Amino acid sequence: MEAKQKLEALLDELFKFKRLPRLSAAAHDVDKIIDLLSDAREQIAGAMDPHTASLTMTKLQNPVKTAFDRVNDDLKAASSAHKKVGRALDKNFPQKDLPTDNDDMGSHLPLINRAIAMHLLREGQFSVASTFIGEVQAKNLQAGDATFDEPMLEDEDGEDENDTDADGFLGDATSHEDECDLSSLHSQELQDRFAEMYRILQELKAQNLLPAIRWARENSVELEARGSNLEFELSKLQFVWLFKGPAVNGLPDDQNNGLSGALSYARNNFGRFQARHLREIQELANAMVYAPNLPASPYQHVFSIPTAFTDVAASFTREFCSLLGLSAESPLYLAVTAGALALPRLMKYMLATRSKGTEWTTEGELPFETPLPESLLFHSIFVCPVSKEQTTEENPPMVIPCGHMLARDTLSKLCKGNRFKCPYCPSEGLIRDARRVVL
Amino acid sequence: MADLEAAKINHDNHLLLDQPCLRTPYELLRKNFRSVHYPLEWESTSVKNLLKDTANGSLNGKTSPQDVVKNLDQMLAKMRGLKRKLTAAAEEEDRLYRHLDARGAHLRDLANLNTVDDVRYEAWSRTRLDRLLVDYMLRHGYDASAIALADERQMRDLVDIDTFVVMSKIRKSLEAGSVQEALAWCNENKKELRKMQSNLEFMLRCQQYIEMMRIGSTPKMLEAISHARKHITPFNDTYPDAVSNMAGLLAYRPNTTLEPYASLYSASRWQELAESFVEAHLRLLNLPPTPLLHVALSSGLSALKTPACHSTRSRQRIQAPSPSPDPQGEEDDGDHHHHHHHHCDHQPTNGTAPTTPTTPKPHHQHGTASLTTRVCPICSTELNALARNVRYAHHGKSRLLEHDLMLLPNGRVYGKARLDEYAAKSGLPAGRVKDLLTGEVFDAGEIRKVFVT
Repeated sequence: MEAKQKLEALLDELFKFKRLPRLSAAAHDVDKIIDLLSDAREQIAGAMDPHTASLTMTKLQNPVKTAFDRVNDDLKAASSAHKKVGRALDKNFPQKDLPTDNDDMGSHLPLINRAIAMHLLREGQFSVASTFIGEVQAKNLQAGDATFDEPMLEDEDGEDENDTDADGFLGDATSHEDECDLSSLHSQELQDRFAEMYRILQELKAQNLLPAIRWARENSVELEARGSNLEFELSKLQFVWLFKGPAVNGLPDDQNNGLSGALSYARNNFGRFQARHLREIQELANAMVYAPNLPASPYQHVFSIPTAFTDVAASFTREFCSLLGLSAESPLYLAVTAGALALPRLMKYMLATRSKGTEWTTEGELPFETPLPESLLFHSIFVCPVSKEQTTEENPPMVIPCGHMLARDTLSKLCKGNRFKCPYCPSEGLIRDARRVVL
Repeated sequence: MADLEAAKINHDNHLLLDQPCLRTPYELLRKNFRSVHYPLEWESTSVKNLLKDTANGSLNGKTSPQDVVKNLDQMLAKMRGLKRKLTAAAEEEDRLYRHLDARGAHLRDLANLNTVDDVRYEAWSRTRLDRLLVDYMLRHGYDASAIALADERQMRDLVDIDTFVVMSKIRKSLEAGSVQEALAWCNENKKELRKMQSNLEFMLRCQQYIEMMRIGSTPKMLEAISHARKHITPFNDTYPDAVSNMAGLLAYRPNTTLEPYASLYSASRWQELAESFVEAHLRLLNLPPTPLLHVALSSGLSALKTPACHSTRSRQRIQAPSPSPDPQGEEDDGDHHHHHHHHCDHQPTNGTAPTTPTTPKPHHQHGTASLTTRVCPICSTELNALARNVRYAHHGKSRLLEHDLMLLPNGRVYGKARLDEYAAKSGLPAGRVKDLLTGEVFDAGEIRKVFVT
């Protein structure tokens, strides 16, 4: 059966279990025994003569026995329902052992905790984040240095960790133990940044562009260097938004709104964009001419903004995170998603090697492929077409004069003296004309 | 090159991490049932017998009506006790079926998806991440965080908070030096623990004995000996070494330096007990021994990692665009750069001189950060150090994010579309291109096509 149908079959079956007998029936039937017993007690206690007592007690035997049998049946029915659940799981969702034998993550809990704290902050879960950071710190304090004082192997190569982090408020974390990590998060700086991001996003959602524009202006140098037009996009949207007037934007109906408001906004703010965005500004200006009948005009598209606010919110988030040296999507989310996708391959490999008794041998590189969808690719990968090896720092990609790309090791092997022949075209080249490239 | 195959959801394999999600409610259903089954059998037999004896006694005049009433009161008390237990178990059962239902619905959402590119997949995968986070927090004893996150995400029925909170309470009591809670738990699960041949109870009994020996007064020593007779020496066949160690302990005071007695007296044994309890608890419920987040991360970090993610080289290049001399002959390329730096208006400091590694801001903070590419999660601060020790993914063929690759004189390669876009956005005159990372500006005539075979 196809995997999907199997899952659906299981879910259909589980859905049916809702109606199977439950323990509550037994509780109900125990009540009946209690009723029988207490009725008998009342009768005997009321009369207090041996005859009534023995008669009542004799008459009580069979009903109580039947009632107990019923309770027993209830229990059996409830238990068989559980077993049906178990069988359905075994049949359609058989348990597979996960690769938990070598828990390489278990020795890096401080780093995982830090990643989680940052994830919660970037998701805007500030109160959960602060509870978490508090709990981790309390536990560390309690455990003293014993549990977390392991040296971070990461630093063995003595490399500076601050590469992604110009401001230094995150980067020092990796070179210290956990406590410092999280207190550096607790030091509010990151939290404040994300709080700022959420405030601005909240305003964007409420269709107020001004805080975002203010932020973009404050960071315009960095944004421009990134090739981002965020500030202009936001200002342009503000212009369009004002232009639409009070009926659409719900802002006060005065000279700061509508056509005149848009015009004065443009006059005051568009000057700084003229060098880069002259054409778009002209387009906006031309559109004003068609103001009475925009939908029929050639500028209709400029003013049709159904997704504009969500679009700028997305680019705002991306730019904001990038300026912090962070990816716009949560790395933890991406890693766990990729992990779920790659896990079957890992398990298949482990199963195969376990039966053969072989160990992982390739140093540095996984010995099997873990194909990921395009949405989870972030770097270009170059595999040398001759050696079939992935290029690395030690064996970088090289471009030879004919424009073909090869790994450096391959090139060295192809070399006769200081000349080589391209394996893909008839051209020949000198080794000194080969250029190392950065993809 | 879109790898459509990689984006397809295989519903069999995709739920490896989600096995406990459905399994645990089932295991708990069984455990809950057992918790009520044995008391019920026991008590009902005793009530039935008492009922029969009382009836017989009443019939042959041996039991007075007063005693009959007394016996009936006794039966009623037992039945009411039973009823309380059953009601609690029935409520727990309802809750577990509700969990099963909610989780079924959660997995149904996945069953309705065919590819990870479906926009609804992200929401599903986010919920899964939240589940894994709650699981991680619970297993490490961060209960308040777990509850806060589950409540915030309204997913209490998707996670097993109560189970883990109980576990964490017992673990903490062990860490604080008390065996009572753990012993009670062993008692509740006697049969199953025996089935899995757990030595937890034996270890706890030994610890009780050690604590009595630690006090060391004569009455305590006597108590210890009778405790050992009852709970320790019967296991002589199963754990001969441990039993003889316990016997030997009689001769040593807590300040001894002689092994194994010094370790037996050591306070660190409590931590070990806590760990063996957790292990037994997880095994009993058929739960994986490590948090699933560990499994997901270790697999995911490797799958995402590329040699570039921890490359020192590409970083130096970012900071100092004039390449450090390469042993394999790049003699001619030093010339290309210095002509062009003046065009680079926005980044006046960048690359104007052969910079030292201490130079502050690189033009961009990331290997591939700009325009259409996204910051790689492994390069991002959150995971970079964590991923340092894992292997990078294996690729059998090139996977390029861009087409029509162009080589700039500084050795950097970009897709033509992106170069054109950046040039336009930067307001460069026609025939000029700008390096997306270093900000250097070049003549279009200086760039070359690159072929990847």
